[in-house]
Amino acid sequence: MLNMVSLLAQTAPDGRVFGLDLQTFFTSGLQLLNGIILSVILYWLLYKPVKLFLQNRAERIQNKLTESEAVMAKGNELIAEYDNKLQEIDNERIEILEAARLAAEEEGKTIIEAARKEAQELKARSMESISKEKARLKEESRLYIIELASLMAEKYITQNIDDETQNKIFEETLAKLEDTQWQN
Amino acid sequence: MGLEIDNLWRIEIFGHEFWITETIVNTWFIMLFLIIVAIIARIKLRKFKEVPSGFQNAIEAVIEIFENFVKSTVGEKLSYIAPWFFMVFMLLLWSALFSIFGLRPPTADWATTFAMAFVSLVLMFYMGFKHRKGDYLKEFFEPHYIFFPMNLIGELAKPVSLSFRLFGNMLSGTIIITLYYALTPMLVQVGIPSILHAFFDVIIGALQTYIFVILSLMYVKTAAE
Repeated sequence: MLNMVSLLAQTAPDGRVFGLDLQTFFTSGLQLLNGIILSVILYWLLYKPVKLFLQNRAERIQNKLTESEAVMAKGNELIAEYDNKLQEIDNERIEILEAARLAAEEEGKTIIEAARKEAQELKARSMESISKEKARLKEESRLYIIELASLMAEKYITQNIDDETQNKIFEETLAKLEDTQWQN
Repeated sequence: MGLEIDNLWRIEIFGHEFWITETIVNTWFIMLFLIIVAIIARIKLRKFKEVPSGFQNAIEAVIEIFENFVKSTVGEKLSYIAPWFFMVFMLLLWSALFSIFGLRPPTADWATTFAMAFVSLVLMFYMGFKHRKGDYLKEFFEPHYIFFPMNLIGELAKPVSLSFRLFGNMLSGTIIITLYYALTPMLVQVGIPSILHAFFDVIIGALQTYIFVILSLMYVKTAAE
């Protein structure tokens, strides 16, 4: 297209502000060419790579958000699951406590009953023992009295009555004592 | 920075004499700057982190905001045209911003704004035919075929008005700032011009860049839908 390009060191004609001639359209053409070149360079060097970087980053962020949402959903499921488990454990705890309470109550009743029985037995044994002791003491007292009376009687008889009278009195007294013992 | 666009080098094509102007050289300078930034970003991209900060933050914000802006304007279906308009946005914006440092903005030359608007025109026709085929062509003959010339002029006027709007705004700022530097004493040429630069180069520059790009996108969208 260009058949001759020459740069001359001659004095340039005066410039201008506006003109509708070939020079204007030549400048326009060159400016258009400049624009196209600049557009291509800016597109390949700046616009496209930065746009790509922004898109990739947006995708990465979106993926992270999606992953986070999935993790969040899974987390919520786990929370719900653990809540259910906790509820079940709580119910089980209440059931165990109730069963333990009932068992303790039952055992308490059994122990009290056993204790009562034992106490009654103990009381009965004590009463029996007391009765026996009472009987023994009574018997001992009776024997002591008898012995004492015998001694007194023996002393009196020794001093006042003969053997025949003595045997008669002894027989009468013995008969009286036997009657008294029989009545007790 | 002067009012006129200086001619710098002469070249001959098919026997015609053309000049490499200040506009073209300044555009190359801005292109160089943008390419260097792009190369730095491309190198640093390898070390980009999941949580951005500093330079990475700025680069990500620019690309993401522009991509979302295009998507919200033309829809997901046509968002593949975003890279071209990204270049347009960056070139027009930095043209305005570099004039703070005394560089004559390439957008203060109608040739530049027309070149950019011409692409918008081509995209309009291309998208219209690609997405609506016969329906798009039919629109030129509505409500009656005698309206075809007017409809065609109406379509062609869109990029022309687009280019003149940006050119006019940028040139007016350049003229005002140039006049200020030419007509005021040296004493008031420090500090005060920063307000003019902030307004004409930064605010008006950014605003007109935005208007140029959003109108181009709207024209393309209207043609395609």
